[in-house]
Amino acid sequence: MAMSYDRAITVFSPDGHLFQVEYAQEAVKKGSTAVGVRGKNVVVLGVEKKTVAKLQDDRTVRKICALDDNVFMAFAGLTADARIVVNRARVECQSHRLTVEDPVTVEYITRFISSIKQRYTQSSGRRPFGISSLIVGFDFDGTPHLYQTDPSGTYHAWKANAIGRSAKTVREFLEKNYKEEHMESDTDTIKLAIRALLEVVQSGGKNIELAIMKRDESMKILVQEEIEEYVTAIEKEKEEAEKQKKKT
Amino acid sequence: MATFFGEVLSVYSRAVEEDDDDLDDENEDERIHREIEEKREVHIVWCPEVAQSLEDSGSNTLQCSDLIIAVGTNAAGFLSAYVLNTESWDAVGHVSLWNERSRGSSRQSIAPLPGEPACLFYRHRDNPAVLVCQSTCYIAEDQLFQWTEKVLGCLQKRGLSVMVLSDSPVAEYKTPDYLYGSAVPFLRSLKSSASKGQALCPALEQPNILTGLPAAVLSHCQVHQIPAVLYQCYTDVISPDSITMETYKPALLCLSKLVKLEPCLSADVLRKFAIITEAQSNLYT
Repeated sequence: MAMSYDRAITVFSPDGHLFQVEYAQEAVKKGSTAVGVRGKNVVVLGVEKKTVAKLQDDRTVRKICALDDNVFMAFAGLTADARIVVNRARVECQSHRLTVEDPVTVEYITRFISSIKQRYTQSSGRRPFGISSLIVGFDFDGTPHLYQTDPSGTYHAWKANAIGRSAKTVREFLEKNYKEEHMESDTDTIKLAIRALLEVVQSGGKNIELAIMKRDESMKILVQEEIEEYVTAIEKEKEEAEKQKKKT
Repeated sequence: MATFFGEVLSVYSRAVEEDDDDLDDENEDERIHREIEEKREVHIVWCPEVAQSLEDSGSNTLQCSDLIIAVGTNAAGFLSAYVLNTESWDAVGHVSLWNERSRGSSRQSIAPLPGEPACLFYRHRDNPAVLVCQSTCYIAEDQLFQWTEKVLGCLQKRGLSVMVLSDSPVAEYKTPDYLYGSAVPFLRSLKSSASKGQALCPALEQPNILTGLPAAVLSHCQVHQIPAVLYQCYTDVISPDSITMETYKPALLCLSKLVKLEPCLSADVLRKFAIITEAQSNLYT
């Protein structure tokens, strides 16, 4: 039984598990879905918007946060843990600019965030951060990047990935539908992210929030009308594809 | 008693005397025990028609062919949404009990308010031999036997068949394999040996066990050779949730043979029974 090996996270179980870290990954699955796609000239992060209470200001429920002018991220999991990580990352971005006079590379800030997370898996009396994050942006040489971090402190670069509630379904959709040649077009990259989210989001476009960043531009959060335009275009394409299928 | 330092201490005698005081204490203890027992007694309050039928039958029992018990908020919500939503069910009684977690109303005759944790009985108008019980209140271990004896004691054993739907957290499901997110929620079944026929889902694997009211009911049915089947739903959500409620759908196959059910249910109706805690909880984003 796992019970006696998950009380202090510094203890390995006999079969090599760190149960607190694995339980933290379960906490991530309780957050709503976030998807990231890396195009050639644009990087896209899409999230499932949570329904807010009637009296709650929905501008304060943000899943996508800018870390600097060239990097932004989305997270899934415990809201409060995310706030701490985002704040530390933002401070580090400015500290890096002051010290080195250059903006951070996406990999640098991802490594910084992952190191914080790993430190919390090896200290006594602390629990791991219950969030996974998707970090996207452009380096100063113009290369786009998408990284994913998880509560254990590992990070990997991805072409497209999803985290949160139905991440598995979305990832399978991305694996089936990701085409390298489509990533040259900004519209197709954005459409792929929206299509992936539509697989798992209830009631379509109005529960989706999307942020994009084009090379040498700052992050832009799309307004509802723009998202609806993409959704309409996607639905039209789906209808055409089904008509084609019926003909053959 | 004089001590080394010259002070005088008064010493209490440790001699035990056979006193009348002891007897009073015992009586008091007995009185307290009796009071606690009375307080913790399980009472079933039937509506006048059912109380009359109980009296009229010689053995103080009701004729019942099928008893469906739902234990837990998701099981109760499933029955409310899929079975009790038509107009042909009458509320015929409730169980009134008190324990530390379930402070029932001080007067037994008052029926519990809708939404309160309670133990309610419903009977189908067109087929009065079908009884449904929704139990959402906590029944303490010392009260389980009483509950089972009193409820099942009101029903004739001949021809009786019992189905129990019960919720359980998936954290208590023991398995050597890792459970991926998509597998949860899921159903497992257990039957009494008198129950013939296939259960609609895999049987509960060892070393998992049942506890609480479902276990008490199933044990009673096993001892008295009443055919009974139990469906335990393991879910990772602690509040009533529409996806968990939908997991009980295979049970509808059995129920539709007994009573007429609403053919299809819109998701909105289901959501009405699920508490929308998602909006209020900002813990996870």
